[in-house]
Amino acid sequence: MKLYEGMFLLDNQAVRENWGRAKASITDILAKHGAKVITARHWEERKLAYPIKGRTRGTYLLAFFECGNEGVNQMRRDFEIDDRVLRYLLVNAEALPAGELEKSQAEGAAEFTLPTPPVEERVTAERAVFGELADRPVVDRSRASAPAPDEGDAAEGEESEIETPAVGEGV
Amino acid sequence: MADMNRRSSTGPSALGSRNCDDPHINYKEIAYLAKFLTPQANIYSRKRTGFCAQCQRELKQAIKRARHMGLMPFVA
Repeated sequence: MKLYEGMFLLDNQAVRENWGRAKASITDILAKHGAKVITARHWEERKLAYPIKGRTRGTYLLAFFECGNEGVNQMRRDFEIDDRVLRYLLVNAEALPAGELEKSQAEGAAEFTLPTPPVEERVTAERAVFGELADRPVVDRSRASAPAPDEGDAAEGEESEIETPAVGEGV
Repeated sequence: MADMNRRSSTGPSALGSRNCDDPHINYKEIAYLAKFLTPQANIYSRKRTGFCAQCQRELKQAIKRARHMGLMPFVA
């Protein structure tokens, strides 16, 4: 039995519904594979450095547990399957950090409440690739040669410009 | 002449020398790790950080773990 540190990035939607249930979903998977969960707590709710599965924000859960090595390999599969877990990281821990147990126990107290995660904007495939550029109106370069003070008039004006030389050639 | 041009491996580096017992190299210490990234989020070389080989390897590992968890960018 080795001590492991597990960090889990959870979908904010699951956290918004019920933090206790989201946390239990992780600890249940750990327990299912024979791990002894020592601590499990809310680490942070933050903006992600890059969008993951269309989410721009996420909640991190930090857990310390003791487990045999076969159990760790099997639980990885379960974390991959679980939709609420966006990312996970399991690393060996030398020792339980000081204060970790207290922070975890404080979460079990009755007065513990978690601030509701802020509503995020879902990231479309376009936004994931182009970022802010995806929000800009599309400019048709082929038609934007002439300065257009008014869009409605400009569209008509450009059409007549194209037609005029054609008529001239015909005559 | 070649020796004069060679960079000193023991001299002070741009980010200062580091005590190898420093516990800050950890994937959760994002503010600390961010000091070792270029503006494009590349990891600084050992020459620049002044770390010993082991510390630089730990730094690399920590930054890569933080990137995987979405705590730090791959490119910025």
